Amino acid sequence: MIPMIELIDVHKSFGHLEVLRGVSLRVTKGEVVVVIGPSGSGKSTMLRCINGLEPIQRGKVVIEGEDLHGPGTDPNKIRQKIGMVFQQFNLFPHKNALQNIMLAPMKVQKKSTREAEAIARDLLDRVGLADKAHAYPDELSGGQQQRVAIARALAMKPDMMLFDEVTSALDPELVAEVLAVMQQLAEGGMTMVVVTHEMGFAREVGSRLVFMDEGTVIEEGDPREMIANPKEPRTQKFLSMVL
Amino acid sequence: MSDLINAFFNGEIFKDSLWLLVKTLPTVFEVLVLGLVFSYLWGLILALMRLSRFRVLRYLTGAYIDFFRGLPLLLLFIFIYYGLPLAGLTLNALTSGVLGLTLCYGAYSAEIFRAGIQAIPRGQTEAARSLGMTSGQAMRYVILPQAVKLVIPPLTNEFIAMIKDTSLMSVIAVPELLFRAKEKMGVVANPTPLTVAALIYVVFTIPLIRLAARLESKRRKRRPPTKPAAAEISPEAEQDLLNTDIAGQLP
Repeated sequence: MIPMIELIDVHKSFGHLEVLRGVSLRVTKGEVVVVIGPSGSGKSTMLRCINGLEPIQRGKVVIEGEDLHGPGTDPNKIRQKIGMVFQQFNLFPHKNALQNIMLAPMKVQKKSTREAEAIARDLLDRVGLADKAHAYPDELSGGQQQRVAIARALAMKPDMMLFDEVTSALDPELVAEVLAVMQQLAEGGMTMVVVTHEMGFAREVGSRLVFMDEGTVIEEGDPREMIANPKEPRTQKFLSMVL
Repeated sequence: MSDLINAFFNGEIFKDSLWLLVKTLPTVFEVLVLGLVFSYLWGLILALMRLSRFRVLRYLTGAYIDFFRGLPLLLLFIFIYYGLPLAGLTLNALTSGVLGLTLCYGAYSAEIFRAGIQAIPRGQTEAARSLGMTSGQAMRYVILPQAVKLVIPPLTNEFIAMIKDTSLMSVIAVPELLFRAKEKMGVVANPTPLTVAALIYVVFTIPLIRLAARLESKRRKRRPPTKPAAAEISPEAEQDLLNTDIAGQLP
């Protein structure tokens, strides 16, 4: 079976700073891969390389068998298959919740207003915000904004979703509502790569745990197994600090 | 004292020149509307080229902008109206005026648009691109609508400067306010027509000055919003935007 995401020896530098030093990762359909690691370990950068938001210097990013940087590849087409949710939500502040979700289906997939609105309303309902369709981002709480952001990404009917520390900017009491939406998504069979500090989520929802440090994957395995018995000293040290 | 009043506020001449000068307003408006539309459009195009990923285009545009920001508009008007005919290209006074405004104010507004576009957080572009939008679509549907809102106050300030700069067209015989006022002054040997012209200018500029101030303070009051809200403009970006206002634009 072709993996959904395959990173092969990916190297990425910002100037002289080497952030990714040969990362390889395979994600198969329906997997929920949770990526943990200390800050600056390259987790977010790796995630951003998966959909080409960051160019890479070496290696390969293959999405559903297609080389993201291949000569005949249109990265915009590939990005439509990859939903992404950000730490800072990044909702469009000049558009209300409904319009935020409708924009890409209309402009990128050329869906009609009616079609796009039906999709958007359905998704708002799924993330529990049917009554906030006409609210602007600055009228929503962080948790609500993030749920709209998830709905916005889902509106493109992506094959996989990337979550970049999506609960880190939230007040503690708002974290649960976002995680619940993500769990529901995972249970629906969505392929997900989740960069997070939520170890509870990693244990309960993750199908695989990946520990990164200094730009490489140090250890990966079954979340429960790995959290209970980490093999690598660096993993042990990190887990002892966050648990 | 009465000499002074007689010189600058001569009732008879005041009435005469008021009508004479009001009659120039359609010309002034025509120049202004065309100048406004063309210079903002040209400015937006320049700003996009200035931010393009093609280095040569960036440099060329940067050079253009610096050049026209540094050039006295008066010189430009004279160059276009009196200079170009010697090279075989004759433009009428009005066209010369609009062309001069566009070339010059296009450069000013390019800087304003550039600052506005750059003030939009990077996350906005990233969110748009991650949804599969091309960079053009992200600019058009996500960045520009936000940037334009941001640059309305500085663009209003620029428009005020443009209104005043139409007076420079008096040297290229555009029959505008100052041109007619000077003419009349010569005939009646009294400066009252200038007073009338001055009043007409401020009747148009002062409301705009108030409006720009209002827009500016409204924007300040709306910030800072709660939380790391959807779009937060960094202080540096905001300062940059303010700095582009109208510094050094006077001839």
